[in-house]
Amino acid sequence: MKISRRLPTAVFAAFAAFALTGHSWATAKDVLVIDKAEDPPTADPGVEVSNNGYTLIFPAYERLVKYDGAKTDVIPEIAESWTVAPDNLSWTFKLASGHMFDDGSPVDAAAVKYSFDRVKKLAAGPGDMFPTIKDVVVVDPQTVKFELSAPFAPFLSALATSAGSIVNPKAQDHAVNGDDARAWLAEHSAGSGAFKIASWERNQQITLDPNPHYAGKAPAFKQVIFKIVREMSSRRLQLENGDADLIDQVPVDQAEAMKSSAGVAIQSNPSLYVVYLYLNNKKAPLDNPKVRQAISYAVDYKGLVDGVMQGQAEQMRGAVPDGMWGHDPQGMQYSYDLDKAKQLLADAGVSNLHVTYTYSQADSAWEPVGLALQASLAEIGVTLDMKNVADTTKRELVAKGDYDISTGAWTPDFADPFMFMNIWFDPTKMGAPGNRSFYENPKVTDLINKALQTVDQKEREKLYIDAQKITNEDAPYVLLFQKNDIFAMRSSVKGYVYNPMLIQVYNIADMSKSE
Amino acid sequence: MTMEATGFARHPSAAREGLRRLWYRVKGSPLTLVGAGIALVVLLVIVAAPILAPYPPDRISLSARLAAPSLQHLFGTDEVGRDLFSRVLFGARASCGIAFAIVIISTVVGSIVGCLSGVVGGVVDTAIMRLMDVFLALPALILAMALAAALGPSLFNAMLAVAVVRVPAYVRLARGQTLALRNRTYVKASRSFGASPAYLLRWHILPNALSPIIVQATLDLGGTILTAAALSFIGLGAQPPTSEWGSMVSSGRNYFLDQWWYITFPGLAILVSAMGFNLLGDGLRDMLDPRLGGR
Repeated sequence: MKISRRLPTAVFAAFAAFALTGHSWATAKDVLVIDKAEDPPTADPGVEVSNNGYTLIFPAYERLVKYDGAKTDVIPEIAESWTVAPDNLSWTFKLASGHMFDDGSPVDAAAVKYSFDRVKKLAAGPGDMFPTIKDVVVVDPQTVKFELSAPFAPFLSALATSAGSIVNPKAQDHAVNGDDARAWLAEHSAGSGAFKIASWERNQQITLDPNPHYAGKAPAFKQVIFKIVREMSSRRLQLENGDADLIDQVPVDQAEAMKSSAGVAIQSNPSLYVVYLYLNNKKAPLDNPKVRQAISYAVDYKGLVDGVMQGQAEQMRGAVPDGMWGHDPQGMQYSYDLDKAKQLLADAGVSNLHVTYTYSQADSAWEPVGLALQASLAEIGVTLDMKNVADTTKRELVAKGDYDISTGAWTPDFADPFMFMNIWFDPTKMGAPGNRSFYENPKVTDLINKALQTVDQKEREKLYIDAQKITNEDAPYVLLFQKNDIFAMRSSVKGYVYNPMLIQVYNIADMSKSE
Repeated sequence: MTMEATGFARHPSAAREGLRRLWYRVKGSPLTLVGAGIALVVLLVIVAAPILAPYPPDRISLSARLAAPSLQHLFGTDEVGRDLFSRVLFGARASCGIAFAIVIISTVVGSIVGCLSGVVGGVVDTAIMRLMDVFLALPALILAMALAAALGPSLFNAMLAVAVVRVPAYVRLARGQTLALRNRTYVKASRSFGASPAYLLRWHILPNALSPIIVQATLDLGGTILTAAALSFIGLGAQPPTSEWGSMVSSGRNYFLDQWWYITFPGLAILVSAMGFNLLGDGLRDMLDPRLGGR
């Protein structure tokens, strides 16, 4: 009895104490805490295609070349220099000495060969970055030669992507049942980057420790912790209280509100981040272009851009976003026109349509987009069921083609329209690799394949714009908008460099904290 | 005592007398009155939501999203500009309507199974009770979540799941009552005249076991509203665009740091209605429980 009477007073006193002293849970100066909205699927450069996974892969591995800070030009990383044969089919790289994996073994030509052979063998998505690699040849321990079957204009940029990460061949010791160490590399790292994965508790947290053998300058952080915090409100409170130094996936309206919080710096950078919807082209009645067009006309683009995105987004004009060459500034845009949508449905002879909208919370825009679409489709007699699932489930359903309408977000890994055109519309890349609407149009396939094998940029641009004219008409996707990349960090975090090709990749090796 | 209940049906004057006595007791318990008032308001809202709501609950207006409460939108608007006042009103239909349905289903099923179990006895009784023990061994919400997830997320399946989970409580209650009643002289007498178990059940046991069950049902309403809201909160109940308090709280929690109204009003609706039904149930129990009756 005594205890129970005193307890409320004690609790109150404790609260009062907290309130008076304020919050001072700031993390240590040499520890960086990053709150992520979703657990990265894997950290395997041979498998991973999500930026969420790149967050881990980039600091854990090095590549032959890397992007020069904020620019999309590449500079040497492991490669010291390189030469290309006049026919653009043979690239020779001279490796710098001194690069070492986290177990102390040197990064040599054999490791480069192992890594690229593995990506090719797994054929899991990252392999699409190098569609024309025929062979990787070890010339001597410090020299490696790539032989291509056809010239590939963005080849050098592709080497700077996650897929080009150099993996320690010793990872192969962890292979079970011939999986090329897929299971092990999914949650461990075997790279020569500044950090290595020390521990990974699924859906809880991931800890990175510095790689003692890293060739570059030792990083400022003794530890980097990624916490998986699904609730935006929790992420925001942790950042505002100093429990986290950086949080990802900040919706635009929360970013506006957080601008006034002390000690918080909002990063909002123009990006090529595209939010779009997949329409399942293999499933009736969405296999009918008229029905897909009708759905494209039933989206309130202006309302989404002005309302949900607070004007900080831009409606698309075809698959290639504004800011990348190959973008068509005169490209056709769908508008919000329910009469036209109704007419198209009538032309297609479709009535009492019932479709499912499969989405997750990985992007904060997907739910409002779905609700708005549901309301406008209801007006033209289409019932839309909203199916909210975990992000990994959504990815699996999409990969299997087991959906009607689903949600997508896409950002390029290198600055070439290839990243959109040859991945979204190539019938050989259906499902998880990128053609998630299961679209096939021989005319488009011809154009994009021709563009791939052409070296002249002017000519490629024309081919890609021609292809977009057809894809806009066919409407395999609903192209919603491109938006800024927004996240927030403590203002004490210094040294972050934004690169539009590296969304959700934080250059933690060069970052530091001022307090 | 328990004879009162049987008296109800037979003599209208006695029934009136009973009501008068009930009213007399209610007057003495202001909390019960508050509970009854809330219950009445909730019922009214359920029936009259389309008349009371100023806007259609699903009407989207992207230009008026996340607007603060004002005369135009009493409770503000949500992330796609739907009027929260209208949605809270319509939400009563899903949230409380489903709670009523759950309680009715579980009461009816539970009392019939429980009384049968008590009257028949033997192996059947043992089998039923052990099955109920299995249900009771698992935490109610966890079991409801598992069932709802297995059936697939929808309001109807959530209702079924919660109803199934609630049944054992009624079975046990009804069976306990039956066992006690079975040995009453009037039941024994009736049986010695050759009355069948069905007759006993219909005319002696069910009517007399009913009042504690009704009290339990009223008490359960509040808890059921919470459970149903919890299922919708985690996405296993109402699906968009249906307005349901639990799912409104669920989507509103992403905005509560800046838009306090989004989560507050549906949350208050859950709080007030659950509390109202609990107060009413508590009061009814105090009044109808024969052991406390003379107070």
